[in-house]
Amino acid sequence: MKRHAVAAAFLALTIGPAMSQSLPPISEAEWSLYSSRFVTQEGRVLDDANDGISHSEGQGYGLLLAQIAGARADFERIWTFTRNELLLRDDGLAAWKWQADATPNVTDINNATDGDILIAYALARAGAGWEDPRFTEAATRMAEAIGIHLTFEHEGQLLLSAGATGFSAEEREDGPIVNLSYWVFEAFPVLAELAPNTDWDAIAQSGVALAARARFSDRQMPPDWLSLAGEPRPADGFPAEFSYNAVRIPLYLMRGGMGDAAYLNGLRDGMVGDDGELNLIDLTTGDVTETLSDAGYRIIPAMISCVVDDVAIPSDLQTFAPTVYYPSTLHLLALSHLRENHSGCLE
Amino acid sequence: MKARTAALAFTVSLALASSALAQNWQILEGARPGEPTGAVSPAQPFAAQEQPAPAQEPPVVAQAPAQAPASAPAADQPMPVIDETALRYFASQGDTRRLEIEIARLRALYPQWTPPADPLAVPESVDSLLEAIWMLYSQGRFAEAREAIATRQMNDPNWEPPVDLLDRLTLAEARERLVNASNLDQYETVIRIGSSNPGLLTCSEVDVLWRVAESFAMTERQGRARDAYRYVLTNCDNTAERLATMQNAAQLLSAEMRDELLALERFDNAGAGEFAPVRDNIARDALAAAGDDDSLVIDAETLARVERLARQGDGASDARLLGWYYLGNDDAQTAEELFRMALEREAEGDAAEGLALALIALDRFADAEDIVYPYRDENVERRGVYLAAAANLLAIEPRVVLSGDVLTRIVGEVAEARNAPAAQQLGWYARAYGQHETAGQWFASALQFDPEDEASAYGLALTRFQLADTAGLAELKRLWAGRSERIVLVGTPQAEAAPAPPSLAPAGSPSPASAPSPAPAQAAPLANTEPMTTPLAYTAEQPVQQAPPQAASVMAAAPRPQAIQQQAPARAAGGCTQTLNPESLSPASALARGWCLMDINRPLEAAKAFEVALRGQGDTARDAAYGQSLAYLRAGLVDEAAVAAASAPMTAERAGELQANILSERASGAFEQRRYVEALMALDQRAQIAPERNDLMVLRGYAYLNLRRYGDAERVFQAVAGTGNRDGLRGLAAVREQTGRQR
Repeated sequence: MKRHAVAAAFLALTIGPAMSQSLPPISEAEWSLYSSRFVTQEGRVLDDANDGISHSEGQGYGLLLAQIAGARADFERIWTFTRNELLLRDDGLAAWKWQADATPNVTDINNATDGDILIAYALARAGAGWEDPRFTEAATRMAEAIGIHLTFEHEGQLLLSAGATGFSAEEREDGPIVNLSYWVFEAFPVLAELAPNTDWDAIAQSGVALAARARFSDRQMPPDWLSLAGEPRPADGFPAEFSYNAVRIPLYLMRGGMGDAAYLNGLRDGMVGDDGELNLIDLTTGDVTETLSDAGYRIIPAMISCVVDDVAIPSDLQTFAPTVYYPSTLHLLALSHLRENHSGCLE
Repeated sequence: MKARTAALAFTVSLALASSALAQNWQILEGARPGEPTGAVSPAQPFAAQEQPAPAQEPPVVAQAPAQAPASAPAADQPMPVIDETALRYFASQGDTRRLEIEIARLRALYPQWTPPADPLAVPESVDSLLEAIWMLYSQGRFAEAREAIATRQMNDPNWEPPVDLLDRLTLAEARERLVNASNLDQYETVIRIGSSNPGLLTCSEVDVLWRVAESFAMTERQGRARDAYRYVLTNCDNTAERLATMQNAAQLLSAEMRDELLALERFDNAGAGEFAPVRDNIARDALAAAGDDDSLVIDAETLARVERLARQGDGASDARLLGWYYLGNDDAQTAEELFRMALEREAEGDAAEGLALALIALDRFADAEDIVYPYRDENVERRGVYLAAAANLLAIEPRVVLSGDVLTRIVGEVAEARNAPAAQQLGWYARAYGQHETAGQWFASALQFDPEDEASAYGLALTRFQLADTAGLAELKRLWAGRSERIVLVGTPQAEAAPAPPSLAPAGSPSPASAPSPAPAQAAPLANTEPMTTPLAYTAEQPVQQAPPQAASVMAAAPRPQAIQQQAPARAAGGCTQTLNPESLSPASALARGWCLMDINRPLEAAKAFEVALRGQGDTARDAAYGQSLAYLRAGLVDEAAVAAASAPMTAERAGELQANILSERASGAFEQRRYVEALMALDQRAQIAPERNDLMVLRGYAYLNLRRYGDAERVFQAVAGTGNRDGLRGLAAVREQTGRQR
């Protein structure tokens, strides 16, 4: 509970009236670049590298970035789409997948837990920051639904399931399986304020502990999908890789003020290439499967160096220029965090 | 998507208008009578508690919820400021329909308000920003409308969006969410949104009411679903929507609840009910269900309804449905009629299968085989029916001569299907014609298909005995020792006198009555084929006495009443449809062809075929003479028939029958030529050898009438009328009219 109180104070400080008086950590110009490219008129966030589908994760990111950027009208637009098109499930969670050319547009009614957490978190910030009870109310309902439907006990730990169906021990041979990149650490203290019946702090701690255990290959990296049927191991049916999902683990840890220096350094060493690019890793061999050089990917190891060792962020990563939806999103999340908490690395 | 949202915006604005004007369905569980419902209307809202709501008093003064803008002021309160933004917007757009609705809405809300004298002349809104938001709303672009409201609020902190706008936007979005959730089967969400937006549950949003009703029905709350449908049927007037409501309800509710709603049917001036299509489908379903479950009883009204649909409509499915029903209720004759009707309207396998089963039940196996043959490959049942028809056809006692075509295709099908009962019948059939080699092959094949088929083994034993294959016979006896006494006794003095006809039923139906096989010595060999691994076809060339089929009656597969839609192959040609000069045929073949042609109602060609057959000996000639007479009679050539009847001796019975037929034809012919005296003579002659039928007595009556023998005419018509015959009554009336005119 102590942690929650601190978090609440933090929240009030960062997104309270103080923020409206200073420049937001995502500039109007940056948000404009991002939203004109990835947010449609109807409020839909486009995953342009993925056939232009939309999903709850993208809507959550769109809401969060709009809120951070202080773009209230855009937030309204994205929220309207999210609510009318995705927030339709009986259990109060969001359907995860939306396709423009399908009827109905929702093509998978299952949820994706990170999407729900991001939406609820962004709504909570918007409700508090803009003093709009509509958003707080919607955030509360989602936080409660997440607490009820997406948490489970496993070997004494309270964990997040990756989705309402399909990932549990009952549903899979190697279940339960979890996705460590769904632990959006910064959201948990906020959700705790809204849905106190769930022990969000326990969830945060279990995530950190699990991340510390789930390290594979000589590079000691976490997989995208983790089976907890026995000793943690990469889940069946997914590539045993440190890949596009897991690249967010250090980002979320740092944004949430979690993770110790040794762990973060270990991740950085496992992923960073010679020229600062981000390597995806085959966890059975330790080989590099793909090298990602978008600024939004490169800034992740650079951000670890900054947070842990105060190393300056390379200047080319300090400027936001949108590429495709996913790394562009990560880039703004990293930049906004650095500007608020580690501005020394940006000089 | 765009078209949908545009249409949506339109209906939404309508809905909003009427939600204020009219009553709405109150979905909220636990709502109390008289509580605010959101509807500013004196009409009684529907309360949707799980428990039946107590009878509600219409609220004397309806209240809007605290947050609703459209609160009706008490009469003594000062006139509030009326928001005419929407009105101006619609006026500026020239949208008179929505304008009228908006005026009606404002009037309902504010009775003291007077609409502008010329609403279309209302000056342009000076608030162009607000107008832009109204436009986004009316186009269903809700996200952009929300964005625009927020933008304006940020730019102008003192600006408050009109409550009316927010209200409408909220409702329109709720409708969209509800529809989206409903399309994804998220029933709880549908009910939740409906509950919190009573403005959606009105007659102008029947689609929403349907979706809410469906959500209740799909979550084990049939009573609540019924209530929603009942709300529509009680309060809403759109004819198409009422019918669709009833159709939805019939699909989702129990029969009891459905019938409860059917009682809300409205009738036009002619007395026709609006739910006739629903009642039709209910009747169809009941009939189909009765086909699946014999214990279900169909009431007369249901049956009459489907009868009417089948006979008055031009579709095939009702006729098929009814055909299956009658077949299942042991009325093969009516079933035949209906399946034929269905086949004429649509040539496809289900009706053909039903018709074949009906024909099997009527012992008309040749027709059955022919009808279902083109469809035999469509599914297992149809093949089973085909094989049953074929096996029955083969088993007819005395054996009938089958055309080469028919026999060939039966052989092919039996071999392909590896069907033991039909193979066994081919064995008996061959045996009947003394083709023991072939019979042996078929019996052996049947045993291959089903090693436990004792009857086939018996047939094979008889054949081996016949062919003096003592080693083979001994082997069979050894194999069946202890299992079949009659096999063991074959060739011994204790042997059965004759083989029992086997059971053919594919579905294990009871064995037919036994009849002796023809003695082998009497049957000449059929044209046989060389021994091969698969028994081959035979061609029938032997004279066989034409007799009414006394078939071993075999029940085939039980009828299944499901309609199966399959593309029907073309009908197979019959055995004698090809034109052929009968001169090239042997007398026996010509005879068979003659009968075949009679079967397909080509009497003149049949007469020629019988002419050739007349050159045969004995029975063949006698049959041919008989056939030719019948053929001429059918062709209306009475004199030729008389000549033919004399061309060969025939039994007294047949001669009498023919003579009677010839005389009745003569009588009709004479009557038609107004030679009434000759007609009476023919009738008199005929009366000496056969009892006079009612139709001929009527003919006699009219002959008398035309000869002005009124007394005789009246007497004859009286007698006919006494049997309940309507023609007799008409005749009596004709006599009276004539005599009356005379006077």
